[in-house]
Amino acid sequence: MAEHDAGRLGPTAWLKRNGVFVALAVLVVVMAGVAPQFATIENLTNVLQQNAIIGVIACGMTFAIIIGGFDLSVGSTAALSSVVAALVITATGSIPLGLFAAIVTGLVVGLVNGGLIAFLRINPFVATLGTMTMIRGIVFVSTNATPIFGVPFGFTALGLGKTMGVPNLVIVFAVVAAILGFLLHQTRFGHHVYMVGGNARAAAVMGIRTARLRFWSYLIVAVCAAIAGILLVGQTASGQPQAAMGYELTAIAAVIVGGATLGGGKGRMLGTIAGVFLLGVVSNSLNLLGVSPFWQPVATGLILVVAVGLDRVRDDAA
Amino acid sequence: MTVADADFADMSGTLMVDRPILEVVGVSMSFGAVTALADVSMHMMPGEITGLVGDNGAGKSTLVKLIAGVLQPSSGEIRFEGIPAAFGSPAAARNAGIETVYQDLALAPNMPVWANIFTGREMTKGPQFLQILDRKAMIERTRAFLSRYDMNVPPIEGAVEGLSGGQRQIIAIARAAAWGSRVIIMDEPTAALGVAETRAVEAVIRNLRDEGHSILIISHNLDQVFRLTDAIWVLRRGQMVGMARAQATTPNRIVAMITGAAEAADGAYHGRA
Repeated sequence: MAEHDAGRLGPTAWLKRNGVFVALAVLVVVMAGVAPQFATIENLTNVLQQNAIIGVIACGMTFAIIIGGFDLSVGSTAALSSVVAALVITATGSIPLGLFAAIVTGLVVGLVNGGLIAFLRINPFVATLGTMTMIRGIVFVSTNATPIFGVPFGFTALGLGKTMGVPNLVIVFAVVAAILGFLLHQTRFGHHVYMVGGNARAAAVMGIRTARLRFWSYLIVAVCAAIAGILLVGQTASGQPQAAMGYELTAIAAVIVGGATLGGGKGRMLGTIAGVFLLGVVSNSLNLLGVSPFWQPVATGLILVVAVGLDRVRDDAA
Repeated sequence: MTVADADFADMSGTLMVDRPILEVVGVSMSFGAVTALADVSMHMMPGEITGLVGDNGAGKSTLVKLIAGVLQPSSGEIRFEGIPAAFGSPAAARNAGIETVYQDLALAPNMPVWANIFTGREMTKGPQFLQILDRKAMIERTRAFLSRYDMNVPPIEGAVEGLSGGQRQIIAIARAAAWGSRVIIMDEPTAALGVAETRAVEAVIRNLRDEGHSILIISHNLDQVFRLTDAIWVLRRGQMVGMARAQATTPNRIVAMITGAAEAADGAYHGRA
């Protein structure tokens, strides 16, 4: 419901609408009291840095989910882009050329996904499950499943470096989130994404070109995945064929926890950002409390189910 | 046209005898081997509410879709303000000034009222290429617009899903009227509404007529057709069986025309297609 009806909600509705922010704030306050290492600059910077790449993917995913679909191929696309970037950089010695090739890779994937879903009207689950497995297969075949080394180590400034104390990854995430947040909430394009997600038939009847909007949405998702792939190279100075596995589900979970629904028409960029950090802080908290990392997926799943359950309660009450 | 001009002479006096704003001339429509409409002709007079009635499957919805540009006729033509008009799409019909209120409302429930009014016609501000939404202007114009109809103005910034069925229908009708449309087509505008809400929607429809819109209503509810319309056209099995002025006929005669019981037996209707 975007931020259109802000300021006109009762306390219960307000709490449900902003539940992800409240949950995040409560968790941070509780953890600050329970675990002394939590509220340190080092740890919080660490949390930001660890979640920036998934955050970039989630920002793009927000468009696909609000328009009524999702994209399972983002993890594979990120891996493919990282491998392409590493290959081009090692082959040509040119970093800009490598970045350009990675972005073009994302555009091509977006073209395929968007074409399949928007114009051939293939179900997003089927279409992106197909491209997800195909792309991962292509990555493994083309690299023989071994990492591509040889990217200048200076490139890790992107993934590991900081600018005035802020990790560069976080700066990239912030820029992507700001641009896409503006596009989603302030422009006609974003407004139409909500319209198509809310009632595609109505939007079409009123003259909105729904297929074109879907196409562009999946293009945005894939380019975000490609940017994530570049950031992955920035962390290790190498192209990792097996990187970003499972990122698609974490990103979708973050968007849903942030207030979007899989039916489309609902969600917010700020909610997505809070959803990313809620999942990130939970996993960080479990670490600090000495809980086995194997419990982390359980926690993520639990939060997802609770978030969707709360949304269901609201819908039934309405 | 086989309808006697005399039919239009005895009107309330405020409306002039005029040329039809919309004419359907000898239109046929087939879906494969199935003939939905056979040589159908009808017309709407400007500033009137025209009713279109008929049994299920008589071809009402098909005729409406032809006028609205959703379907294109197999043969025959549609004239808008006297000029042959071939609407290749709903957008083309809308641009010409023919708006349609669909039975399923065609509103986005999760979006606020103002956004539904402005769907596809959003106002923007700032540099053109950025296409930045001008929310404030749209909200203000929506408020001014809805209050013009003396409507119980619902919260314009709230989502449509929070409104009653009647309020939603009024939003959908208001949207159709909002864009300087000459002809508004309404397919069962009160089908899902209670008595009080039906009356509220009917008041809005009369209001639009008084403002000069020409309205075509498809309805199963004959009481409503008689409450609202100036002229009633009857379709049966894909053929136009006739037209009657609402003041000069009775529900029983219309029912007889709908069912075929009054085949050419009653002077209250005219002409067969």
